Amino acid sequence: MDWSSWWDTYSTLVLSIGVYGMLALSIYLTLSCGLLSLANAAFMGIGAYMSAIATLQFEWPFAFALFLGTVLPAAVAFLIGIPVLRLSGVYLAMATLGFGEVVRVVLLNLDITGGPLGLNGIPPLTTWWHVVLALALTVALLQALRRSRIGRAFEAIREDETAARLMGIATDRIKLLAFVLGAAIAGLAGGLNAHYTFTLSPGNFGFESAVDILTMAVLGGIQGVAGPLLGGAILTLLPELLRGLQEFRMAANGLILIAVVLFMPQGLWDPARFRRWRRSRGTRAEA
Amino acid sequence: MRTFLTSALLALSGFCCLSVASAGDIRIGLAEALTGPASQYGVPIRNGFLLAQEELNAKGGINGNRIVLVEEDERGKKEEAINVYKKLIYQDKVLMIFGPTLSNSMFAAGPIAEAAHVVAFGTSNTASGITDIGPYVFRSSPMEADVVPVTLKAAIKRLGLHKVGIIYGNDDAFTKSGYDVFRQALEAQHIRVVDTETYSKGDVDFKAQLTKLKAEAPDAIVCPCLAEEGANILIQARALGITVPFIGGNGFNTPKLLENAKTAAEGTIVGSPWFDGNPSPENQRFIAAYRKKFGSDPNQFSAQGYDALFIVAEALRKIHLTGQLAQDRQALRDALPAIQYAGATGRFAFRPAPLHNGKPGGYDADQTPFVYIVKNGKFALLK
Amino acid sequence: MFAQQIVNAISLGSVYALFALGFTLVFGILGVINLSHGGIFMVGAYAALLLLTRFEIPFWAALPLAMLAAGLLGLAIDLLILKQLRKRGAPHLMPMIATIGAAILMTSLSQGLFGSETRRFPLDLFDQESFSWGPVTIPVLQAGITALSVLLMLLMVWVLKRTRIGQALRAVAESPKAASLLGIPVERLFHLTSFVAAALGGAAGILIGLSFDAISPFMGQPMLHKGIAAIILGGLGDVRGAVLGGLFLGAAEVFAVTVLSSEYRDALSFGLLFLVLLWRPQGLFGASATRSA
Repeated sequence: MDWSSWWDTYSTLVLSIGVYGMLALSIYLTLSCGLLSLANAAFMGIGAYMSAIATLQFEWPFAFALFLGTVLPAAVAFLIGIPVLRLSGVYLAMATLGFGEVVRVVLLNLDITGGPLGLNGIPPLTTWWHVVLALALTVALLQALRRSRIGRAFEAIREDETAARLMGIATDRIKLLAFVLGAAIAGLAGGLNAHYTFTLSPGNFGFESAVDILTMAVLGGIQGVAGPLLGGAILTLLPELLRGLQEFRMAANGLILIAVVLFMPQGLWDPARFRRWRRSRGTRAEA
Repeated sequence: MRTFLTSALLALSGFCCLSVASAGDIRIGLAEALTGPASQYGVPIRNGFLLAQEELNAKGGINGNRIVLVEEDERGKKEEAINVYKKLIYQDKVLMIFGPTLSNSMFAAGPIAEAAHVVAFGTSNTASGITDIGPYVFRSSPMEADVVPVTLKAAIKRLGLHKVGIIYGNDDAFTKSGYDVFRQALEAQHIRVVDTETYSKGDVDFKAQLTKLKAEAPDAIVCPCLAEEGANILIQARALGITVPFIGGNGFNTPKLLENAKTAAEGTIVGSPWFDGNPSPENQRFIAAYRKKFGSDPNQFSAQGYDALFIVAEALRKIHLTGQLAQDRQALRDALPAIQYAGATGRFAFRPAPLHNGKPGGYDADQTPFVYIVKNGKFALLK
Repeated sequence: MFAQQIVNAISLGSVYALFALGFTLVFGILGVINLSHGGIFMVGAYAALLLLTRFEIPFWAALPLAMLAAGLLGLAIDLLILKQLRKRGAPHLMPMIATIGAAILMTSLSQGLFGSETRRFPLDLFDQESFSWGPVTIPVLQAGITALSVLLMLLMVWVLKRTRIGQALRAVAESPKAASLLGIPVERLFHLTSFVAAALGGAAGILIGLSFDAISPFMGQPMLHKGIAAIILGGLGDVRGAVLGGLFLGAAEVFAVTVLSSEYRDALSFGLLFLVLLWRPQGLFGASATRSA
């Protein structure tokens, strides 16, 4: 099979790998700060709808539409983040889940979002380099953050929030930053996704997607940016790879989730495990 | 990571070689939701196609060429519908594609076929605007906008309606567009709507909404619902002492409704492109053959799938396949609009969609729906 | 109409309450949000359907057998998944994800085995009659479900408060470590809790399958959402609160339909959940956790 027909066949799949990688990174950002937020699907939805309305109804340029799709979810995250981030653990998870449902119901009942029919005929504007650029920017941003003081603050909060506060870290502000940045990344991913799937409906951004995004990050591992990217790629490809299983296809998905949690709690991308492997291989080579 | 991706994608591209084709085969894509919640429609559709394929090939196919259905599961999800469409068009190199199951998926996948100049043929998409995608998009499922006014007219004649109540699912594209056309049709025929109630997918208890509807004492209740919710709504309405008849949309047209709602369904008026009691020999033959092959009763979706393959077969008989894919795809698309056919769903023809923003659209179904009423636990034609 | 709506609220709420009962129990004792509770609920309904239609077992025997099946499934999830995670001291995210995996597995398997169409128990199994009392109509089955969920709730509260096992469970809920120092067989109580909670979830599935046309592989998901809302309204881990939370959620939904419009119903219930978490994370009723039950 030559390159161009390969690309014709799999371009959407490749774009999805990039976009879901960004979504997995968006939840990695909050997880790396110890926050279990399940609102990222909702932020993705807000970004997707915002940018699709911008190109479809106002015919604004794509770049500006993506910008709006990044900023609006961040602004919403800022507003709800202030009260919600006082919660922690399961309570935060449940509150963000509730928020996600509220967003879904709002999308269902607004006129400008097309209600349950959603938006159709969104112009096909997303090309491969948009996704590559957005993904590269996201990765660069997250890597820079990781190495900065803020990144170390994330880690301190994840390890022990009280201790971090005693150390003089402005935990509330740092957590809000992670939450807002995560929302912005998810929103941008949503905007890109809308312009290569041509259609949006509120059901695309419900509980199921929230869970999918979380699963990608956990499957890949949250020890660094490579993990979420790997998790996003695998879960995007898995349904294609498992086509042969027919109706039991999703069962394999469920089994994989359980297996990873049980046997690879750090996720697939686990630098510590890689080091252990290398060491054991090294000792074997010596013997 | 890169090596993993490459090997995964190589494995993917290897899938094309699983189905070995012989020279004279006509390869047609079938993208339906075979798993996930939408599979309750996708599976009967697929069954209808399989039956039609078997019958066509048993009679020697098309001028001696066998019809091969390349089946793919799109799970009722828009991204998968796109992926499946691309795989069928660019890798399996099919002549045309049937499906996807849901209207939303067609909105996502249709543009792919349009851009590749391949016929996308929906057999279950009833939402308005589907054929605005472009001239390569066809459907054999009449829009709700075509079925509902006919249903309503028959119901008014029968029941002498003045005021009605409505209940519908407001988080589902199918039930919402059903509601929209009912509301327009009610307005056009000057029927007052005294109360409108909504529910969400997965609800099982509708008593709060029904109690409110009952208080307004409507002459009938309009219910553009799917059969699962419909049966519950009917049963609970009767339990609450609501005795007025229900008027349903396309979703009510399934033996399941009667099976599950039993006596509660009595008097319900339904409009639909297919009627299991339609005595035409084509329909009775279809029902018997379907029962024999699958051991269950067909529904409207299987009948529409079954007919769709015969419609395309008619077009295929009229063209000369050259083996040049692009040319053959174009020839098929040009031959389809003129096809007329009488099958399990009755007389069928295509009707060009109106211009959309000055651009020509695809082709909608031009078919007179049946209107029937539930009588003694059975669907009977409403005369 | 209002009298009827109050009856409707109680009957809707008791369905939520029954589901929430087992859901909250697991959180109270094991400290785990078991997102496979919706799957167990679904399996309970299918188990009863199979026993009734395929094996033609009478209902009085099918109900406990199906509850047993659901309970064993819950026990299996505990032994195969949750126990392993407890041993490792995994953070609370892990059991949530693993139980999501279990839920996906159950949904997919039942879809493969039973197909995806909605089914129901044979209608003639139970009297679909309702009795009228003035302007109010009460379906008999609904009254039965309400009575049963209140009964089960009272039973659970009584067990937790008045029995030795209940005492031990409360100690475990307080602190598994301290309880095990006191010589309480913590692991066995975890298994017991998982079994009982799943049996209750299965019972909820069976009863809903009885009164509605609702048995499908996907029936667990929407109910899980309502269950989450109910146990948060009632206070996570609070058995009495779960039932009150379920009834409150039912009342709120019926109120939304009656007074506002049915379009706002879901926004209201999830908005409420959101507000309760911000304003009173311990729930609307009582103090907190199982220890107060």
